Amino acid sequence: MFGSRTLLLTLVLSLVAGSAGRLDAQTPLREVIDGQVRAKWAAEKLTPAKPATDAEFLRRVTIDLVGSIPSYEETIAFLESKEPTKREKLVDRLLEDPRHAQQQADTWDMILFGRFPPGNDADKRLGFQAWLRTQFEKNVPYDELARTILKAEGLSTDGPAMYYVQYKNAPEDATESITQQFLGVQLQCARCHDHPFEEWKQLDFYGMAAFLARLEVVTLNRKGSGTESTFVIGEQEVGDIQFTGPAKDAVAGKKGEPVKPKFLHATALVEPAAKDGKPAKFSNTAPPPKPKFSRKDRLAEWIADPKNPYFTKAIVNRVWGQFMGKGISHPVDNLSPSNPPVMPELMETLAKELIVHKYDLKWLTREIVLSQAYQLSGAGDGEAMPRLYHHSRTRPLSAEELAECWRVASGWTPSGATAAKGAKSERFRPLESGYMLRFFGTPNSGAGDFQGGLQEHLYMNNGPLGSVIGGKGSLSEFVGTASKPVEDRVRRLYLQTLNRPPTAIETEKVSAYLKSGGPAADAVWALITSAEFRFNH
Amino acid sequence: MDQPDARARAGDRGNTMPPICNPTAHLSRRALMKGTLAAAGGVVMNWGGLTGTALGEEAKKERKHCILLWMNGGASQFETFDMKPGRPTGGPYRPISTNVNGIQICELMPKMAKQMDKVAVIRSMRTSQVDHPGGIYLMHTGYQPRGNIRYPEMGAVVAKYQGLGDSDLPNFVKISSNGDAGAGFLGPKYQPFGIGAEGGLPPFSTSQKPELDEKRRNDLRSFVDSQFVETSRSEVAKMHRESYEAARRLQKARQAFNIDAEWAKSKDLYGDSEFGRRCLMARRLVETGVAFVEVGQSSYDSHADNASWHRGLVPPMEHAWAGLLEDLKQRGLLDTTLVVWTGEIGRTPTINNRAGRDHYVRCWSTALAGCGIKGGQTYGESDENGAEVKTNPVTEGDFFATVYSALGINPKKENYAGIRPVPLANFGSNPVKELLD
Repeated sequence: MFGSRTLLLTLVLSLVAGSAGRLDAQTPLREVIDGQVRAKWAAEKLTPAKPATDAEFLRRVTIDLVGSIPSYEETIAFLESKEPTKREKLVDRLLEDPRHAQQQADTWDMILFGRFPPGNDADKRLGFQAWLRTQFEKNVPYDELARTILKAEGLSTDGPAMYYVQYKNAPEDATESITQQFLGVQLQCARCHDHPFEEWKQLDFYGMAAFLARLEVVTLNRKGSGTESTFVIGEQEVGDIQFTGPAKDAVAGKKGEPVKPKFLHATALVEPAAKDGKPAKFSNTAPPPKPKFSRKDRLAEWIADPKNPYFTKAIVNRVWGQFMGKGISHPVDNLSPSNPPVMPELMETLAKELIVHKYDLKWLTREIVLSQAYQLSGAGDGEAMPRLYHHSRTRPLSAEELAECWRVASGWTPSGATAAKGAKSERFRPLESGYMLRFFGTPNSGAGDFQGGLQEHLYMNNGPLGSVIGGKGSLSEFVGTASKPVEDRVRRLYLQTLNRPPTAIETEKVSAYLKSGGPAADAVWALITSAEFRFNH
Repeated sequence: MDQPDARARAGDRGNTMPPICNPTAHLSRRALMKGTLAAAGGVVMNWGGLTGTALGEEAKKERKHCILLWMNGGASQFETFDMKPGRPTGGPYRPISTNVNGIQICELMPKMAKQMDKVAVIRSMRTSQVDHPGGIYLMHTGYQPRGNIRYPEMGAVVAKYQGLGDSDLPNFVKISSNGDAGAGFLGPKYQPFGIGAEGGLPPFSTSQKPELDEKRRNDLRSFVDSQFVETSRSEVAKMHRESYEAARRLQKARQAFNIDAEWAKSKDLYGDSEFGRRCLMARRLVETGVAFVEVGQSSYDSHADNASWHRGLVPPMEHAWAGLLEDLKQRGLLDTTLVVWTGEIGRTPTINNRAGRDHYVRCWSTALAGCGIKGGQTYGESDENGAEVKTNPVTEGDFFATVYSALGINPKKENYAGIRPVPLANFGSNPVKELLD
């Protein structure tokens, strides 16, 4: 479609040319995005894929925004609707769905902790996860969210303090992660040596680490707090990070030089002179007092500031990558000069607009998924992560998404006993979380990284997937009802699992299978273990 | 195409590029892959490394294998390969002569004494993790546990670089052993396939359905998949389908794990023990083409009654090990199969007040055989009490570099954990040249 409309393309090009940002205050961001993306395709002589069909769009955006495929009823309603603005209305509805907050919380939990956090009890963080979900339910501005996490106040069971717990006594590890996750700055090489070709020196690394050197993870003695320990982040009045020079020249026992806190690209932090003295002994019965001067809070404020040269670009790049498959700079957490954005102007535009919109991630998400670029077909040159967004990306579903999609597709409902037990908290019901995480838990970059693994197929082939499939009111029951016309049954099978009607040949083949006595449950199994089901595309 | 696994290999970086932290090198893997595939005539022959027949029988024969004999808990060097007779640290056992002049080992190992011409013993291990979890991680990965990076085990590395792309069996099999680092950042494709102590397959390896039902539903599934792969042309969908096909092939190849018939004939050679049976399975798997098999024996953690503990554990172990070397030799597999003997730690020179030996990593012993290892020698020396390394210390990094070098894998080869380049054997480590061909 885009490729053939050269006239329109030229028009858009001429409008975009010369304006670094948006066309004017009234133009929605999604149109600015499309103008810039089309200009890039023209410059690179790329022909984009066809626009996504309604069915393609419905499935893709529903999984992306709420972590689940649409139900059969939703699918039928959307496909039959003639409303011209039905896509916009769908997106609005999904963004207000409570499952969207859950989906965002899951995404950010993986960014901040990963599937296998470094330890120190960070694998048990229900409190943090619940807090994160609340933040997205309230659509808290992202700068505020980042600041709150980095200031880490309160008890770990109530939320943000948990973030530092995983880096207990390791300010260097925390520095690596914070700069990557919030700023897209990859400082880790400078931990051991001056970076060979990036600008970072070892002292830049330790200058940043100095902000965190006084933090102490205090374990509170509390009774009856369930299985999770309660931590609180204390900050000492004194204490410095020690710098001993390049790691290769390290000598055991050599005493280092204290390094003062220094922001990247800035002079040293001005702070009141520290009193002489020893670090306090924090009690394990009450939260420690706040220091008179908090280095950690200064760092949090410097990071989550629109004036910070990295912060806003890092988040727009990340959100773009979440929905488009690839960051404008990719990997999304590397904004270094050696990894330049493929469309620098687009990154500037998104960053500028996000500041204008006060870090409203829901707004940014809406604009991205309503762009024509997001709404392209997935049929392309085979790349899971298209270089210039000229077709949609293909990404594996996360373990949580897969479990939910299986339930919706097969029409699984909790039986009396499980329903009564309030099985709601079990994300993988009726399957076991241990196996689901082992076989589908990683990689989960959300960006399409995928490896074929034997184990997931053995699990799907020989494992307990049958427990999701059968039952009263299930898809399997419908498909197996021989009194209904076989074409209707096949149609329902496809619409409820892959959210599209079957093609003629699919109708023919699957009808033949059912007519020859093939079990309905196995037909459902074949659909929900297929590649088309396993990925969002 | 010099390796079957084009996609996975393209993500790493050989020695030809300067050793810098270059994230863009990581990103070019797509381009690299395309180039590799184009060389194969534009046909995607070996997508994801799980199918295809790009390799001839010739290449298969040259492929190297590794069997890791894992002494869980940490076997004592004083009761195996580094005797200190007459010293206060010596313990009750006597040294015996071997088929190599000048090398003596513990009397608990009479069968291995006849195999010493094949074995190189390192008596100067000096490693850095003295507890079990840390040591198990260290001696499986070559790295200390570190928060932000998930290092792969030796088995995953060997599976990646010596594994067969079109094998019906997984390339990394663990039989009743320890360590849970798995494939780490190398990804799920190289995860170990774990066999239980009694030879049982891991969960979900066995179909619960009648063969006909299984075939019917899988035919249907294959049809569903073929439609999507055709229309979307998505590479990840292809990979998904190919790993699915590998899982199907595994169903057919499962008999490789059933060694009952052969065990009856091999009992004498390997010794009638569980460990012997596992070693036979390891040989059988290697023969079938599996790149890496780990066989575990528990548990050497002899904090009390060290001598009797070892009297129980060492004889069946050494019988099986000797049988394995002999069997590999007879079948012409020893030249391409490296047998590694190690645990996570050594044991203290001093004998504690419960007649036990505690954990010790300042000076201990490991052993290598086969695959070009120059056997019939000891490398490095401990001092007269076995307390400190006297000559040629070997770190965990050196040990892994030696293992990888023997297997024809460049230990300096780098993979990316995120954008961080990580060499297979840690920076600053070197293979022990004296042991290698």
